[in-house]
Amino acid sequence: MSSALAPNPVVKWSLIAVALAFLGLNLALPLAAVFAGAFAKGLGAWHDAVIEPDALAAMRLTLLVAGIAVPLNIVIGLAASWAITKFDFRWKSILITLIDLPFSVSPVVSGLIYVLLFGLQGWFGPWLREHDVKIIFAVPGIVLATVFITFPFVARELIPLMQEQGRDDEEAARSLGASGWQTFARVTLPNIRWGLLYGVLLCNARAMGEFGAVSVVSGHIRGLTNTMPLHIEILYNEYNYVAAFAVASLLAGLALVTLGLKSLLEWRYRDQLAGAGH
Amino acid sequence: MTVSAENVVKRFGAFAALEGVSLDAREGEFLALLGPSGSGKTTLLRIMAGLDFPDSGTIRMGGVDMDDRPARERGVGFVFQHYALFRHMTVAKNIAFGLSVRPRRDRPSGTAIAARVEELLGLVQLPGLGGRYPAQLSGGQRQRVALARALAVEPRLLLLDEPFGALDAKVRKDLRRWLRAVHEASHVTSVFVTHDQEEALDLADRVVVMNAGRIEQVGTPHEVYQRPATAFVCDFLGNANRFDCRLAEGAVELGGLRLANAAPAATGSGAGVAFVRPHEFDVAAAGEPGVAVTLRRMTATGAAAVLECAMPDGRIVEASLPVGPDWLVPGAALTLVPTTVRAYSV
Repeated sequence: MSSALAPNPVVKWSLIAVALAFLGLNLALPLAAVFAGAFAKGLGAWHDAVIEPDALAAMRLTLLVAGIAVPLNIVIGLAASWAITKFDFRWKSILITLIDLPFSVSPVVSGLIYVLLFGLQGWFGPWLREHDVKIIFAVPGIVLATVFITFPFVARELIPLMQEQGRDDEEAARSLGASGWQTFARVTLPNIRWGLLYGVLLCNARAMGEFGAVSVVSGHIRGLTNTMPLHIEILYNEYNYVAAFAVASLLAGLALVTLGLKSLLEWRYRDQLAGAGH
Repeated sequence: MTVSAENVVKRFGAFAALEGVSLDAREGEFLALLGPSGSGKTTLLRIMAGLDFPDSGTIRMGGVDMDDRPARERGVGFVFQHYALFRHMTVAKNIAFGLSVRPRRDRPSGTAIAARVEELLGLVQLPGLGGRYPAQLSGGQRQRVALARALAVEPRLLLLDEPFGALDAKVRKDLRRWLRAVHEASHVTSVFVTHDQEEALDLADRVVVMNAGRIEQVGTPHEVYQRPATAFVCDFLGNANRFDCRLAEGAVELGGLRLANAAPAATGSGAGVAFVRPHEFDVAAAGEPGVAVTLRRMTATGAAAVLECAMPDGRIVEASLPVGPDWLVPGAALTLVPTTVRAYSV
């Protein structure tokens, strides 16, 4: 097709080259560097770094935090999207803005909010100390900060999708005699399943990779409050490059798997949306 | 099942969708809610279904108050303009949905449901398509599946919101005939919403003409077409031409003619607005009493010749004659003589 919009081949290929060079330098090369660093002293060194007790503790903590934050955000994200798209109420726009808040606030500030609230000098600090509850510099604080940071992923993914699908399906189900739960489980959930899965993947990747907010509330206690990203930082600061890159390679591997799954889902999901034939 | 609305009021913010609407649908009746968009007809239908709730007023079904009855307990079948089929279910699963969500003790057995689905697929003339997905069907087929799904639960009342609105003209006409046949077979009291006057007049036992949240007239298609109660109804039905006129003791003075008023309840004198439908004109030579116009275009494609004429002030008048007079050429001056006129005071 030759039209005014079809650029000449020189422009086209130089643009592609610029884009590829940029991506190569900024994404592919660092990624390769991570794996190169991880295996610099052979598979044995990588293996030792990964099964070292502090590294294992960091992995366990990361899995625990993601294991709490992701399901929680699935439930809350679903509830928020359902409320926003299927009902009319007065403060809807405020709720939508609030959902975006974690994206617009710096993660460090998010972490500091929790220190201000639950830290020793914080608002609830004295009360928490009296009752012997530790939130800041302990696992609960890390979970809270992660939940906050990763909250928007599921809701952001679902709201546009559910808005586009409208309320007709739910109303049809109700008029056919379905209960609220039946409507959700048999009509709404199947309609949004691919979008939901996509949101969960992104949410999970961020929950495992979050550094800023978690760093503020964690206290960096080895074997106790270090997640994988924090553990990597400590190793790196101790000039233990191979170990740092070895643990980093696990996170990078997770990112690659997520990316692959995401592409797969996008492909499946577009297929289904096109098939719906609006 | 009879259904009635009593003084139903519904507002959306400052917009009054329904301003005190009262209405009765008789047992087994096929009722059309007809009006322009924004007239409140869909809102009234949704309130009957329990999908919206009135600010005041009552819906009764079979004489029973429905105020606190949610949609799922009303036994109402609702057909949506855009079908609202469940896209991840096959046609058969869609039709079976209403039966399969029943509590276990009321739920028919799997084989009974399958038999019911087959029966309904036959009724909507889609036998053998139970295994397809909605995306694999045409618009007309989807709407028939939607109707089968609504009928599967044996509703006491069938509500249809612009059921043919998303379909093209040819399919629409076929489906209209077919829907009438289905209604005659099932005898479920049915209410449908449309903005298409032809559809309402063709299909319904009685037509409810709505405008700006109020009911203008309720009557048989013949009544609302031949004896429109208000200027709005007359204007909305039958593509009538509109003229300013004078009313004088039951007569209409228009273009130097004094004509009998065919509108019901023609009383009073003074300024009025007169409506003449395209086929209610005769043609006379220029200078005769009547509406003086210039011919702009004449088309003779169907059974009638359609004359597009302009009055001296530029307003367009449309007339249709069984045979176009051959002396008429574009630009010719002529007189249109109304044979029937309906006039209302303003």
